[in-house]
Amino acid sequence: MTSFRDIFGSHFDSEMSQRPTSVLAACVWIPLFPLRCEEARHEGLAGYPIALLAPDTTRKLWQVSPLARHAGVKPGMTVSQAIGLCPTLRLIEPDPVHYDEQFSKLLSALTEVSPVVEPAELGSAYVGTDGLEGIFGSPGKIIEAIKRMLESWNVGMSEAGSTVQHSNFPTFRLGFALGKFTAWVAASRAKRSEAIVVPIGEEQKFLASQPIAVLPLDPDIHRRLRQLGIRTLGALAALPEEAIAAQFGSVGRRLWLLAAGRITEPVVGRVSPEPIVAALAFFTPVGERELLSHSLDQLIARALRHPRRIGWRVHALRLRADLDGSGSWLATILLKDPSADAARIAAPLKIRLEQSPPTGAVERLVLEFTAFAPGTSELQLFARDAQAAARAGQQRALQSAAREIRMRIKRSSLYHIIEVQPWSRLPERRYALIDYEP
Amino acid sequence: MVAPARTPLRTDRLRAVNAPKPVALEWDASGVLSVSKVGKIEAILETWRIDDEWWRQPIARAYMEVMLEGGKRLVLFQDLITGEWFSQMP
Repeated sequence: MTSFRDIFGSHFDSEMSQRPTSVLAACVWIPLFPLRCEEARHEGLAGYPIALLAPDTTRKLWQVSPLARHAGVKPGMTVSQAIGLCPTLRLIEPDPVHYDEQFSKLLSALTEVSPVVEPAELGSAYVGTDGLEGIFGSPGKIIEAIKRMLESWNVGMSEAGSTVQHSNFPTFRLGFALGKFTAWVAASRAKRSEAIVVPIGEEQKFLASQPIAVLPLDPDIHRRLRQLGIRTLGALAALPEEAIAAQFGSVGRRLWLLAAGRITEPVVGRVSPEPIVAALAFFTPVGERELLSHSLDQLIARALRHPRRIGWRVHALRLRADLDGSGSWLATILLKDPSADAARIAAPLKIRLEQSPPTGAVERLVLEFTAFAPGTSELQLFARDAQAAARAGQQRALQSAAREIRMRIKRSSLYHIIEVQPWSRLPERRYALIDYEP
Repeated sequence: MVAPARTPLRTDRLRAVNAPKPVALEWDASGVLSVSKVGKIEAILETWRIDDEWWRQPIARAYMEVMLEGGKRLVLFQDLITGEWFSQMP
């Protein structure tokens, strides 16, 4: 099996030929997606300078709002540096699972427009638009259809419990062009909630005036290109391809091809996996609900481990029981929020088992995952595997404990310790407590 | 790390850890130094001085780490600008 990575990091292999592709691409980009998700669910937050803490142990800033950036705060700064520059800065603990969920919903909304949707990174996705002109009409009409879907996704966020005004919802930028790279560059140059359409055949002209920062460059190559006085893609493309390849190797050659508009990367959609089935036959028919519940947990764990499930969250599932004699029992569940967490998948089925249990003893129990929601590269880190399930479990346990403490003593008394000036000679300046409300 | 959730953390709700607490030092009749409402000082383990931030709000402190009666250790310092005494955890 041959496999390689394209310039955007997408993984290609021989299965690619089985996936739907599209050379006409619309790029949907929501800059600072996690930060926008937080603004969308916290009323009034958008009016303050805010920063998200990194979702690791460094306790440095991850994403910074334009207001905070205006005060000099930058990603990668320590909390103390940031507060020193901007005393009104509001710090937010990251919630990667929430961002993944919102991004999954965004991808689901986009699949209403086109079956070919490729997630790039959190807040950025490509929609394949080959053939859509037959349904919607001109590229402008296709863009309008995508905008409508993004609006419905925003409304969905509102219905998910946010009390925030609609104007605070994430604003997107759209680019429409031949190939992913040109579509991305167009989206990156678009104004808020607007689109740039690059007509077919005008890619080189459009790209020529764009800054080299739009290329997927590492900082070293970026610096060297600037030292050589190369500021735009047009300036790069004007140099001989071989000269660039001699200076920067194969990476340089790829950059040159991109800058010259010689590469047309197609959008590669994902094929939904076939249903995953896990079954358990009992030696003697079982009627006890506890045993059935335990068996259900085993079936879910087995189905989640199935290789076809990797990269996907379960959206719909079916539990079937063959009863002693000739009867059967069936429960069909559509999860409101697609999940790869065993407990969240099991919960509605267990409720069904409690409320309307099988009418006889069960001989065979069959679990089917019948529909899936796509994941992203971020989901691999945060929400799609056993580690993520453990993380979600710990999070729920923390939430439950915090709720209990609040109920008992009527106030929050949980805090995070953060480093403020760990190098300070004054002990009280080294660490601080901030409220922790999971 | 478990990804903690998402309530905005306001910087005006930052609380210092190990903030200095004002204390009073007093000599009893037998000449033993004690920290008011805390206990008698058995021994002075270490002393040091910090002069800092002369360019904005000058800080000048004389520190001493002491052992109290019963073995508890405590850091005391005198603010050399105001003359007040404070205690901190070691």
